[in-house]
Amino acid sequence: MDTDNSTAVAETSEDTSPTTAKSSDSVVIETRNLSKIYRDFWGRKKVHALKSLDIEVRPGEIFGLLGPNGSGKSTTIKLILGLLFPTSGRVLVFDQDASETQKNERIGYLPEESYLYKFLTAEETLDFYGRLFDLSAADRRDRVKQLIEMVGLQGAKHRQLKEYSKGMTRRVGLAQALINDPDLVLLDEPTTGLDPIGTREMKDLILGLRDRGKTVLLCSHQLADVQDVCDRVAILHQGELKELGRVSDLLKVQDVTEVHATGLDDAAKAEIAEVIARHGGSVQSIDNPTATMEDLFLNIVRESEARPGARRVSQAAETKDASNGSTSDGDQA
Amino acid sequence: MNLQLDDFWSFYEWFFRPGAFLESAALKGIVLAVLGVVLGLVVGYVISSSRYGSGEGFFAVARAVRDLFRFDLPGTRIRRIFALARLAFKEAVRRKVLYVVGLFVVLLLLAGWYLNPQSDDPARLYISFVLTATNYLVLALALFISAFSLPEDIKNKTLYTIVTKPVRATEIVLGRMLGFVAMGTVILIPMGLLSYVFVTRGLDHTHAEVADVRELASGGFEGETDYTRFHSHHFELNEAGEGVTDMVRGHRHVVIRKEDGSFRVGPAEGALRARVPSYGSLVFRDRSGNLQEEGIDVGNERLAGGYGSAGISRLIGVSRGTRKIEHGYVEGGGLGTAEYTFSGVTADRYGDSIPVDLSLRAYRSYKGNIEKGIRGSITMKHPSKPIESNPIGFTVNEYEVDQKFLPLEIEGTNGNKTEVLNVFEDLVDEKGRMTIVVRCLDDSQYLGMTPASVYLRPTDHSFAWNLAKAYMSIWLQMTMVTAFGVMFSTFLTGPVAMVATAVCVLLGFSAEQVYDTRHYIDAGIERGGGPIESMVRLLKQDAMTTQLDVDTVAAKVIKTADAGIVYTLDAIATALPNLPKMVNTAEFAASGFDIFGAILARHAVATLGYVLLAFLISYFTLKAREIAA
Ligand SMILES: Nc1ncnc2c1ncn2[C@@H]1O[C@H](COP(=O)(O)OP(=O)(O)OP(=O)(O)O)[C@@H](O)[C@H]1O
Ligand SMILES: [Mg+2]
Repeated sequence: MDTDNSTAVAETSEDTSPTTAKSSDSVVIETRNLSKIYRDFWGRKKVHALKSLDIEVRPGEIFGLLGPNGSGKSTTIKLILGLLFPTSGRVLVFDQDASETQKNERIGYLPEESYLYKFLTAEETLDFYGRLFDLSAADRRDRVKQLIEMVGLQGAKHRQLKEYSKGMTRRVGLAQALINDPDLVLLDEPTTGLDPIGTREMKDLILGLRDRGKTVLLCSHQLADVQDVCDRVAILHQGELKELGRVSDLLKVQDVTEVHATGLDDAAKAEIAEVIARHGGSVQSIDNPTATMEDLFLNIVRESEARPGARRVSQAAETKDASNGSTSDGDQA
Repeated sequence: MNLQLDDFWSFYEWFFRPGAFLESAALKGIVLAVLGVVLGLVVGYVISSSRYGSGEGFFAVARAVRDLFRFDLPGTRIRRIFALARLAFKEAVRRKVLYVVGLFVVLLLLAGWYLNPQSDDPARLYISFVLTATNYLVLALALFISAFSLPEDIKNKTLYTIVTKPVRATEIVLGRMLGFVAMGTVILIPMGLLSYVFVTRGLDHTHAEVADVRELASGGFEGETDYTRFHSHHFELNEAGEGVTDMVRGHRHVVIRKEDGSFRVGPAEGALRARVPSYGSLVFRDRSGNLQEEGIDVGNERLAGGYGSAGISRLIGVSRGTRKIEHGYVEGGGLGTAEYTFSGVTADRYGDSIPVDLSLRAYRSYKGNIEKGIRGSITMKHPSKPIESNPIGFTVNEYEVDQKFLPLEIEGTNGNKTEVLNVFEDLVDEKGRMTIVVRCLDDSQYLGMTPASVYLRPTDHSFAWNLAKAYMSIWLQMTMVTAFGVMFSTFLTGPVAMVATAVCVLLGFSAEQVYDTRHYIDAGIERGGGPIESMVRLLKQDAMTTQLDVDTVAAKVIKTADAGIVYTLDAIATALPNLPKMVNTAEFAASGFDIFGAILARHAVATLGYVLLAFLISYFTLKAREIAA
């Protein structure tokens, strides 16, 4: 692989100091050596869905969990929420154990499918979820109204959810996740089921949340989404962390130079490297090119299938965590 | 209605059983709570140590207990419970459970098919019909709505969006229970009102015509009403032309002779009532006049039943045998008597007479005059001094409550003098007590009675209130079943939870039979044995009182296995709520007796206890459960 991990480490360690004590200021979600094995009724092992995952999500960032189907993204989110109990390892959310109910005051969760009561209308749904928080009746009403407008369901708010289309239910799901104006939003595949406009709105909304200082963890396999909005991503494959870092860093190809130029004819293009100056064309940019997210993703999956096992990943925290995978040398060789 | 020993207990006596603490409800509650806690800890430990290893398992259990008291109970908010209850309520409404009320209406409309119009006691028939129908409908409903809801939520994953809000397990459990109980209440209220209308309208009638009217020598009238609804009444009027008919089928009518000489018969009266009995303490004297605690046993009276009142003491074998009160008998001819001593016999509680009700049994040792009932007498007597009234005779009217009115002035003997006695001045002692002596007048015939057979009746309560109390008892049962349903649904799938709850209900209902079986096994009485032995007997077509006809080893195996099963069932049944007792309040209402406040209070406290237990179990299982697994 071409990516130079050491650079990523150097760069990420610039903006956050890994050695500071973990207060809720520096880390919103922290998973330590998190593993999950699904067992059947008799306690026999069915699936090893997550293998010693170590990630940190920092305040105010949009963190993306990426991976093919069945790679353990939803499992991670459920572990963070306390819907599942870890087989080993820990999850800390706002410095509290994931099993603490208290943390939910500040969390919003959009499940992968909208698990809502079909017999309620959109308005009733939001009102119900609002009642679970410490909101005054007036505040609750305002919020419900505002959220219904935000997700564009004013026209359908008195209809029962069982009559809703998939995208509409998804929108209600999103609205209920935001009912408490959460500091941390967990979105499990936020754009599935949404039309292109809805997808765009969703992305804008996620960016808007960040601008308001919220932290967002989303998981998706819609690579374009991730590329557009995420600050950092973790790529999972078969329950193992394969890659972690800033999107811009991950996509940067270090040993290649990219030239953007205009005013060239076809012949000139053929010998572009030598003739730019001679032809009097103006250089627009010279940069490291970025791979597309898709390239990166496919690369990782392909490589992971060829060489299974946890990959050494570029994370600031790894410096103090020696237990991380040791295969990185082999990777770079 | 045959009241049992424990029916007379006050709330305090029931709860603490002074002098017999082993029988008390308090002890049973404590034992259940302790067992629940111990069992919970053990199960919790086994589960969590299989999940995290044995050392961690211990901490996990400790943490769960700590969490309850440190976070979850203090963090429980009424607001969220209400929100969840509203949801559960709405869910039930949208599942169209209110149709049950419609079903009930249909049942009432078709009542003509099963209610015999020629019944001797139509009030009992109507009341027990509506109460039984309500009871079973509502229990079945509670079973359905409570057992399926939570498993559905887990299956549809709707619970994910709830537990990821700051909702505590306590709130989920309480919210469910509250929502379903609210639902049940909303269903019970119209059913109660409909029942009231159904019963009152159903019994309401009058007689349009009179017949065979004769003028009496005294200036009054006597006659018969017409034959309506399969009965007619005889009436006697005074000179002013006013009077009442005799009691037929539990009611009578006021009859008035109008100016123009026609008669007007009023509406049925007294059919629906709630007698408030004032019971006395009962002792017997045998034929030579010696004091006895019990009357004569004429046989076949105490084979079974009544164990339930012994509580834990029966389970652990401290108290043995049946405790059902049966009729004690007084022999006619000799000095045999039954003496009831009543307290609170004061002028301010009674009007111009003392109403006394008798419901006695007769036992004939020879046929005698079969046309006539056995005769007896009652005498009012000072509890300690030799002052007593002249006897007032009666003929036993078996299986019916014979309502008498004792006069306040009556001739009697004071020592050796014969004089007119004033009841309150001469026959009641300074503590307000008076004794009533019941004798049998026919030689060698017997009158049977229990402490509940003779009572004074200072007041009546309204029937409506009594029906309301019967409905409260149904409400309590519903609450209990709901709590159990919710409890089972926290760890079982819907259908299984429903079956488990139903099994609990059924076992609760048949507890006395289980106790019976255990008693027979303990006492070595051949009565068919336990389930396996019964099955063998069924297959071999053997009678149940014969020796089990298999070889000794087989018999031993069968009996040991049976004992194991029966003892287990016995323990479970003892742990379960005493549902038959709760259903029995319907019997009070149907027989026209005011449901004792103490009994209702006991049921309420027992319900609260079981709901609390179910709540705790639900909390821990829900907390230990991986919602998304
Ligand atoms: N409740 C469960 N019981 C058993 N196995 C499960 C359960 N949930 C998930 N798994 C398994 O765990 C693995 C990870 O599943 P997970 O839902 O986390 O994947 P994902 O990354 O979210 O996939 P997708 O992109 O399809 O949503 C899969 O192999 C899946 O089959
Ligand atoms: Mg998923």
